[in-house]
Amino acid sequence: MEYILTVMVLIGINVVLATSFNLILGYGGLMSVAHPIFYAIGAYCSGLLAIHLQIPVPLSILIGAGIAMVLSFGVSLPSLRVSGDYLVIASIGFQLGILHVINNLDFTGAAGGLTNIPVLNEGPSRSLVFVLLIAVVAACAVLLVAWIVEGDYGRAITAMRNDEEAFSALGRNAMNIKIVLFAIGSGMAGLAGALYAHYFAYVTPEQFGIFTSAALLTMVVVGGAATTWGPLVGAVLLTTLPQAITFLGLPVSIMAPLQGVIYTTLVIFFLFARPQGLTGGSRGGGGLEAWSASAAFRARRDAE
Amino acid sequence: MFEIQNLTARYGPLIAVNDVSLSFETGVRMGIFGHNGSGKSTFLKCLVGGVKDVSGAVAFGGSPIVADQVHRNVMLGIGFVPQVQNVFPNLTVEQNLHIAGSKSDSSFLEEAYALFPLLRERQDQLAGDMSGGEQQMLAVALALMTRPQILLLDEPTAGLAPAIVKNVLESLLRINSELGTGLILVEQNVLAALDVVERAIVLKGGRVVFDGASEELRAKEDLWAWF
Ligand SMILES: Nc1ncnc2c1ncn2[C@@H]1O[C@H](COP(=O)(O)OP(=O)(O)OP(=O)(O)O)[C@@H](O)[C@H]1O
Ligand SMILES: [Mg+2]
Repeated sequence: MEYILTVMVLIGINVVLATSFNLILGYGGLMSVAHPIFYAIGAYCSGLLAIHLQIPVPLSILIGAGIAMVLSFGVSLPSLRVSGDYLVIASIGFQLGILHVINNLDFTGAAGGLTNIPVLNEGPSRSLVFVLLIAVVAACAVLLVAWIVEGDYGRAITAMRNDEEAFSALGRNAMNIKIVLFAIGSGMAGLAGALYAHYFAYVTPEQFGIFTSAALLTMVVVGGAATTWGPLVGAVLLTTLPQAITFLGLPVSIMAPLQGVIYTTLVIFFLFARPQGLTGGSRGGGGLEAWSASAAFRARRDAE
Repeated sequence: MFEIQNLTARYGPLIAVNDVSLSFETGVRMGIFGHNGSGKSTFLKCLVGGVKDVSGAVAFGGSPIVADQVHRNVMLGIGFVPQVQNVFPNLTVEQNLHIAGSKSDSSFLEEAYALFPLLRERQDQLAGDMSGGEQQMLAVALALMTRPQILLLDEPTAGLAPAIVKNVLESLLRINSELGTGLILVEQNVLAALDVVERAIVLKGGRVVFDGASEELRAKEDLWAWF
C-alpha cells in the first residue's frame, strides 16, 4: 500500500513538472532543457531553509517556488534578448553550472545529497494525506496552465508562436510573453521540487540532471505538447512504466539503460509518427507542429 | 513624415541596403521596385526597426526608429505587412484581428469588416485555411487595426491572380483616400502598382538608382532594363 501511495506522489509531482514544462516548451515554443534545475532549486532552497533557519515547511515550500521563479529571469532575460536559440545554450549552461555547485558544496550535502529534510506532515496516514495534497496541487497546475492559454492571453501566445515577426509588427512584445511563461513554468517546477523534498526528506543532485530533462521531454511529447491533458497522460504513463518494468526483476545493469532506450524510442517515434502526441487532435496546431511548421517556413525564407 | 539618412543595413558581410537617404510625407503613395535581392524588403524592414545591423538614422514624425524594437516603433503609427507569413494560421480571422487590435478599441473591428466584407463572412475560419488572396486581405486588415498613419506593404499582391491583384490595389487606394493612410508599396507587379502610386523608387544592389514621379518611370523607354 505504502508503495502504491509513493508511486502516486511521484505521479503527482511529475504531472506538475510536465504540465509546467509544457507551458514553456509546448505553448511558449521555448527550447529549454533546464526544467529539472528549477525543480532542484525549489527542492534544495526549501529544504535548506527548513533545516537551517527552521522556517515552517509550508512557508519554505512557497519560498522555494518563489526563488525558482526569480532565478528563471537570470536565464530568460539575458538569453531571450539575443535570440530564442540562445535559450537552449543558456539553459544547458545554467543546469550544469548549478548542478556542479550543488555537487560540490558541503552545505548542500554535495554528491551524497541533502538528508534529514523536515517532512511536511507526519502521522500514520501521512502518505495518504500527501497524495491528496499533491492531487490538488496537480489539478491546480493543469487548470492554471489551461486558464493561461485560454482567452486573450492564450491567443497572443499562439500568435507569437506562429510568427514572432508578424506579432511584433502589430505592436505586441513577444519577449515579455516568453519571460512570463518561463517564470511561471519555472516557479511551478520549484513548487514540485519543494513538495518532493518535504515528502521524501532526501534529495540528491543526480535526480536533476539531463536524464530528468529527457524524461520530462518524453512526457510532454508522448502525451501531446501544447495540449491541456497531454502532459498529464504522459506523466502518468512514464511514471508507472518504469515501475512496471521493475517488476520484471531485471538486474540493475540492464534496467537503467533499458529505461533510457524506452524514452529515446518513444520520443523519436512520436516526433515522426504522431507529433501531436496521444491526446492532441489531428490538427490542433499543437506546439511541436507549430515549431516544425515555422521552422520549415523559416528555412524556406532563409533559403530564398 | 519619414526621414531616412544614410541608411545602411547589413547581414554579416553582405550589404543589403547601401547608404540610402530619402524623406517622404506621411500621406504619400510610394512604390519601391527592383530585382529580387535588390534590398526592397530589407529597406522596408528598416523603416520599422526590423533589421539589427544598421547604421544611419531613420525617424518617423520626429521620433527615432530604434533597431530591434519593432513592437515599439510600429506604435508610432506605422502599419507593417511583411512579405511572408503575415497572418497567424492557427487563429481564426476574428482572433487574428483581436491580436492586432489589442491596443485599440473594438470599433476598429467593424471598420476592418466594412473595408473587407469577405473577412466578416470568414470570421470563424482559420486564417491558415484561407486562400492566398484572402490571407493578403487579412494581413492588410491586421496592419490597419493599429490605426497607422502610413502602411508599409511588402508585395501584397505576390502570387495572386491578375483580377485579385487589381482588387487588392484598389482597396489600398480606397484606404489611402478614405482614411488618408500613406502607402509604401513594394511590388513586382510594376505596371499595376504604378497606377496606384505617385512616387517611385528603384533599388539596385541596395542603392537608390531612380527616384521620381511614377509617370516618369512609366515613360522610360528602357523601363524593363531596370528590372
Ligand atoms: N535574414 C537574412 N539573412 C541574410 N541575408 C539576407 C537576409 N534577408 C535578406 N538577405 C539578403 O539581402 C539581400 C536583399 O534581400 P531582400 O530580401 O531585401 O531583397 P528583396 O529586394 O526584397 O528581394 P525579393 O524581391 O526577392 O523579395 C539579398 O541578397 C538577400 O539574400
Ligand atoms: Mg522582398
